[in-house]
Amino acid sequence: MSDSKFHLKRLMFSIASLVDLGQEATSSKDLSAKMKSALYVITGTFSVPRAALFVYHPKHRSLELLADKGYKESARQEIKLSVLPQHIKHFHVNEPHSIHEMVGSPFYERNDQVFSKLQTRLFIPLFAKDEFVGAIALGKKLGRESFRQNEKDVLRVVAHQMAITLYNVTLFGELTKKAAENKKLYESMRRIYHDTVQAFSAAIDAKDGYTKDHSYRVACYAVAIARELRWKKMDVEGLYVAGLLHDIGKIIIDTKVIKKGEGLTTLEKNEINKHPQISYDILSKIKFPWKNIERFVLHHHERLDGKGYPDALRSTELSDGEKILALVDAFDAMTTDRPYRDKLGLDEAFKEVLKCGGTQFDEQITSTFFNLLLRELSGEVKDPQILPHLRSNGTDPSAPNWAWVQASGSPSGSCRDKRENSDPLFSRFESRVEDSGKQPQGSWIRPLYVTRHK
Amino acid sequence: MSNFSLSSRSEQDITVMMPKGYINNIGAERLELTSEEFIGRGSNKLVVNFTDVKFINTIGLSIFLSMVQNMLESNSQLCFTNMKKDHREMFEMAGLIKHVRVFKDEKDAFNYLNGRS
Repeated sequence: MSDSKFHLKRLMFSIASLVDLGQEATSSKDLSAKMKSALYVITGTFSVPRAALFVYHPKHRSLELLADKGYKESARQEIKLSVLPQHIKHFHVNEPHSIHEMVGSPFYERNDQVFSKLQTRLFIPLFAKDEFVGAIALGKKLGRESFRQNEKDVLRVVAHQMAITLYNVTLFGELTKKAAENKKLYESMRRIYHDTVQAFSAAIDAKDGYTKDHSYRVACYAVAIARELRWKKMDVEGLYVAGLLHDIGKIIIDTKVIKKGEGLTTLEKNEINKHPQISYDILSKIKFPWKNIERFVLHHHERLDGKGYPDALRSTELSDGEKILALVDAFDAMTTDRPYRDKLGLDEAFKEVLKCGGTQFDEQITSTFFNLLLRELSGEVKDPQILPHLRSNGTDPSAPNWAWVQASGSPSGSCRDKRENSDPLFSRFESRVEDSGKQPQGSWIRPLYVTRHK
Repeated sequence: MSNFSLSSRSEQDITVMMPKGYINNIGAERLELTSEEFIGRGSNKLVVNFTDVKFINTIGLSIFLSMVQNMLESNSQLCFTNMKKDHREMFEMAGLIKHVRVFKDEKDAFNYLNGRS
């Protein structure tokens, strides 16, 4: 091969090496594998069987081994270079330093045994963005040839690229570590949030022995529906918290009034009906990581027909979250004993909800809720979210009488205006047990019942 | 999926290694480790048959470099056979070819290692 042809080939080889190095630097491998591959590119390019790549640890004031080639395991464990800030000042940026020229320098004298063990011929300090990030120590070339000037020129370019790569991966590593720490911190805060919310919820329910665990069940039912509606995880979590806290306003309402049940005076009814607004006032002071909690809570007594409170909003003005809470709050009230009445059976509760479809409760959400409950009853759902609570609440869902469900028609019966209702705590649950003899014929819910329980 | 595989066999006192595919990542280091194993077992005549090697980059070159270094340090003999032109040129460029014997095929390498040529 002629000299000019050889030099051209050599140039092509150097370019190919830089391409290889670029590919390794931008690969998706982890830090260690990436840097090891990059070091192999260098050793292959410059015919150096032994080499080591170090990363700088300012805190330890040391260059610690990140990757190496050609050293025995026993030797590898002891490879570490001590480097002081005053040493770094004497390094030439990304410049190959001949080890012979370094002899006598404080840095060399401090590490001469390591350099000897590594059989280092060239030491290349790596700098990126004026920051010392690491170093490469190259051993002797195969055949003991010395490094040519043109090889040192290419090494300078390679060193620059290695420094940038090392800087980026180190930075990325630090960011990943920080992100993991932040995530841990966030999880910890989230747990604290939940624990606090749970404590509040327990305090709310403790005001009235009859409503024990009501907030928790409401939260669980709401979550079950939201998941069925394919809500995002964060939104589901927000609704759960809203469920736990929806009655927080009752904390400042006189316990006697809350426990009184029937026969409330207008003044007392008005007092009770303030609790969504009070809940809102309390919760709007808190910056939750979840959206709309205070709004869900404020409107959990609204109705689709605009006869709810406190804002008498209509269907189009209510969000799904508000509609879900309104439904499950009422449903749990129906399936729980009260001082002034016994709880309803499951089929009776269904009838009551059906009667109020389209006026008090959203039909699609009700359908979703019942559909899920039916699937839980039939054993289709691996991890039921509604049944366990109904059972623990003393409701027997095993033998509901679904026969009353009609094949067609529209919801019948009426949801009385809640303002006329005497139920102080659950005034949106207007229909009474004695009305349940009527057969609700909600076509919107019927197909589910007919197909599953005919 | 790895694009590299390695098979080896021993004939008489000679070990033949047949790498296959792409020698362009750390995975191909198996070549170097296998040769070290054979040397450790006392086998000091190695042949690498390049017939099925499709591509070698500088990482692959680095692996061969270490093999050659180990052979030199253990006074073993290393022969390359069935090399493609571009692979051979790459090895020349790296100064590696000076330290190994290159033959057209395994038969020639065997003759050399058995002292028949």
